[in-house]
Amino acid sequence: MRRLYLVATVLFWLLVAAFWAGSRGLPPAEESVAVVTEKSFSAGELASHATPENCWMAIHGSVYDLSTYLPEHPSRPEVILPWCGKEATEAYNTKTKGRAHKPYADDLLAQYRIGKLTPAQP
Amino acid sequence: MSILRLISIPLLILVATAGPVYWALPEGLGLARSLGIVAGWAGCGLLLASLLLMLREARLAQGLGGLERMYRWHHWAGMAAYVLLLAHPLLLAADAWPDKRLLAWQMLSPFNQGWPVWLGWLALLLLMLGLAVTFEQRIPYRIWRWLHVGLGLGVLLGLLHLVMLGIEQPVWPILGLAAFFLGWRIVREDFGLAARPYIVQAARPVAEDTVEISLKPLAEAIAITPGQFVLVAFFSGPTFRGCGEFHPFTVSALGAHGEIRLGVKALGDCTRKIQSIEPGVMARVQGAFGNFMTERAGAPQLWVAGGIGITPFLAQLRAGPLTQQTLLLYLYRAEADAAFLQELQALAVHDPKLSLRAVATGQTVPDLNTLLPVAGDLAQHDCYLCGPPGMVAGLRKALNERGIAPRHIHFENFEFR
Repeated sequence: MRRLYLVATVLFWLLVAAFWAGSRGLPPAEESVAVVTEKSFSAGELASHATPENCWMAIHGSVYDLSTYLPEHPSRPEVILPWCGKEATEAYNTKTKGRAHKPYADDLLAQYRIGKLTPAQP
Repeated sequence: MSILRLISIPLLILVATAGPVYWALPEGLGLARSLGIVAGWAGCGLLLASLLLMLREARLAQGLGGLERMYRWHHWAGMAAYVLLLAHPLLLAADAWPDKRLLAWQMLSPFNQGWPVWLGWLALLLLMLGLAVTFEQRIPYRIWRWLHVGLGLGVLLGLLHLVMLGIEQPVWPILGLAAFFLGWRIVREDFGLAARPYIVQAARPVAEDTVEISLKPLAEAIAITPGQFVLVAFFSGPTFRGCGEFHPFTVSALGAHGEIRLGVKALGDCTRKIQSIEPGVMARVQGAFGNFMTERAGAPQLWVAGGIGITPFLAQLRAGPLTQQTLLLYLYRAEADAAFLQELQALAVHDPKLSLRAVATGQTVPDLNTLLPVAGDLAQHDCYLCGPPGMVAGLRKALNERGIAPRHIHFENFEFR
């Protein structure tokens, strides 16, 4: 059992190091997340995507299609689902508990950007 | 051992593991992420089962096939959980690999995360360090025991990691159970709340570095049969200062009014201190544990004792005449180490069913093949072994080579690290 412990622990740290090494020296294209399209969506259009299967959110002026991400979100569904189809910047900034998301979440969110939110007409 | 007892622990582990995995079974996610989630929940369930298996309750141990068996599974469940929990973050990160290597590292790295993930990392590091300590035999038992508790802390932090992630529904009950098991173990067993009070009546040296202690119950006596062992903590007397920690000792005799006698050999710091124990010292006794010799068939028997491993056989012989033809092979290093030898010789003279063969093996490892009876003389025998782990392993091998089936070879490891 001692041998199993040693092998598993050493292998774990080797793989952690491999993940770190793999993230270094990437070409610029991989370091930044490309925005494929730059479509504009109105608040009404945003509101029509308000179901768990078709969930868009507006955060910091951008629109994100989070439909495929929702199952992966670590919190309870009832925390995030009410924000589908809505402007969710405040909820994103505070996680409804006064705690901001980490930079990792910002990077992850960028993967789901589909365009920008058309500002409301005065 | 009955089938029910045999399957009790595997069944318990299966339920504890499959339950949370079934609840959290991912749908529609990538393979690596799904496996990562399953590994995390399976590890969580295994740790919970492992915590239950560290409880030292006589009835629980009886239902699960003995304390030694529980500890063996406790070790395996804990190690399997550790391997799965190591795989958990790696698999989650691997989901983004190789297309999004930066994202994969960001998912793994604690530097890009907050408290929920930091707690996960802290729990994993505590498990890692706790297990490293577990395998370190050179650390004194008293320190080792409390460092081992760090593993329990790691389990609680790991569950808090889930709560912080917002996964509260199945985690709070699991966290409650884990805290309950840990608290139960520490308060009832490590602090001795579950133990019965006894007092040392007498202590006499029976061999070099070996003393036999007579204990009298001060309240209700524990229920015990020959071959079983108890966990005993000795406290202080007029001049004696005990170490106050629980150690396993096999009883060497049972009295009519709940008295017990224990043979204690100086094998570590605490047992060396016990050699100078005196009447009047308070003790706390937990048990009884173990199934060694409790389910003996009517077949002729071979008993092999190494050193202080003579105590369960002595308890059986002191309890009354044998009903099965029995050969007792008693191995010790030198005459000075041969505890209870004269009494055994007297018992053999008066009990026609007992044959005693006492052998001084010297300082070298004895050749067990020359000491054991030949295969023909062991046909239909049940064999009971008690002694140092190396000797028991050698005896099992030698007996297997003589055609004795494993189900006819009985032994217990009194190793609690």
